[in-house]
Amino acid sequence: MAEAPDPDAAQEAIEYCYEQGWSDGLPLVPASQPLVDRFLATTSRAPDEIIGTLEQVGRDCTVYLAAVNAAMAGCLPEYFPVVLAAFDAVMRERAARGGGWQSTSGPAPLIVVNGPVRHELGFNTAGGAFGPGFRPNATIARAIGLIVRNAFGIRPHVLEQATQGVPGRWSLCIAENEEESPWPPFAADGGQAGGVSAVSAMLTRTSEFVDNRHTPDPGQVLWDFADTISRTGSLIFRDTSAAVVFCPEHAQMLAGAGYSKTDVQAWLVEHCGRTGADLRRAGKNGLRGIARFADGDASADETFSKILPSPRHIPIIVAGARNAAISMVVRIFGEWSGASTPIEKGG
Amino acid sequence: MPNVILDPTGQVQAAKSAPPRAPRRASLRGARVGLLVNTKQNAAPFLDEVGRLLVERYGASGVLARTKTNFAQPAPEELIKEMQAGCDVIVTGIGDCGSCSASAVADGVAFETAGTPAAAICSDAFGVTADAMAELRGAPGYAYATTPHPVAVLTPEQVRERAARVLGDVVALLTTAG
Repeated sequence: MAEAPDPDAAQEAIEYCYEQGWSDGLPLVPASQPLVDRFLATTSRAPDEIIGTLEQVGRDCTVYLAAVNAAMAGCLPEYFPVVLAAFDAVMRERAARGGGWQSTSGPAPLIVVNGPVRHELGFNTAGGAFGPGFRPNATIARAIGLIVRNAFGIRPHVLEQATQGVPGRWSLCIAENEEESPWPPFAADGGQAGGVSAVSAMLTRTSEFVDNRHTPDPGQVLWDFADTISRTGSLIFRDTSAAVVFCPEHAQMLAGAGYSKTDVQAWLVEHCGRTGADLRRAGKNGLRGIARFADGDASADETFSKILPSPRHIPIIVAGARNAAISMVVRIFGEWSGASTPIEKGG
Repeated sequence: MPNVILDPTGQVQAAKSAPPRAPRRASLRGARVGLLVNTKQNAAPFLDEVGRLLVERYGASGVLARTKTNFAQPAPEELIKEMQAGCDVIVTGIGDCGSCSASAVADGVAFETAGTPAAAICSDAFGVTADAMAELRGAPGYAYATTPHPVAVLTPEQVRERAARVLGDVVALLTTAG
């Protein structure tokens, strides 16, 4: 049996990382050059390649810095191609390149993994999809957060100005339950068809469950989703966007009733929205351009305003266990780019 | 020799330099005032009122208002140049969110570097992030004006009162009095 590592040396190294201000609050794995070299060996991309720039703060992230942060987050070296693809996917989002990380809304990336890599690396693809408990899901999401903190220098209370933040920030990495989904994988909606391993990402403002084990009628179930999606508190602008992470049971019920993913999206586009009276009660009935404001005018009280402008504004993912009809509405910050990123085959 | 623990930030400590500061005039009499509006709720009426009062009370000769297309990002160089050509002093704001407070200060520093005095106005809830951006832009300690938080929900009348209250600070920032 190998000799157990020295806990005192490990603790000292962990405390050193805290003292430097690198940690998100939890212990970091101290990264050494030999460890980071193993990460860099998994990709054909050069260590000094710039993979993200935050112009307003004058900071870049290179492949090398991503590797250091991924190692510190607790990733295994073989996760690194997924981290790179996830970071690319996150940086496709307009808000991530703009002021999103500095925002008072404190958005959290939702990372979605598809394809064979889910099983090759041991992602959780079943129950407890929103975590925690599984190393790839937990550490890949955390790596993105550490990159934003350390490589971009966006730290809480300084350049990061989240008012309350979002539960699950830097911990949302879902591997889609493709095996129990009745529909094509999410990556196909992002242009990566054919069962390839790919990552998609969107920025989110919160997740809200829809528990409907009450009816076998797909129309009633969809109304329950429409009600959650149409909540006035989340409306800021004329339009909104939300992903639905269906559990296998809801997805299979809808598919069994003949609904394709596109049919579900079309139904929700048609039925999500509020009346002028509802919006006026919340002070959000007026529109100046795309911004909502409190308008005293009650003449549109009877008018129903739709809030999802297109199917692209209601991405659909399938995740979780098939043991209950419990799904999640994930509120999107801005809108999803609509593009998934393929994962490079490990070197 | 054990391995060193790697730094995940990629930063080397930069040498501190004096913040850029454009030459000040003694008063705003006859000065052309540029207003850089960041599109946040109430920013336009707030800055409009500041501009109006600078003309009425301090003898500024006129006002040129421009709007940023992206409140989260610093103003593009062309916009800085255009305003600099048409204005003697700049007022920018209102910084009342995480990214827009930081970028209002970044714009102020950009105008100072280009030689035009600028007063950024931020809500007082965003001082830390505004200061951090000033430091990032090589202007640690850059002075800006603050107005109490919140700004977005003020009535038109309250906006005018706020503009009047911050006016003295804006004048001080833009002239040799500051």
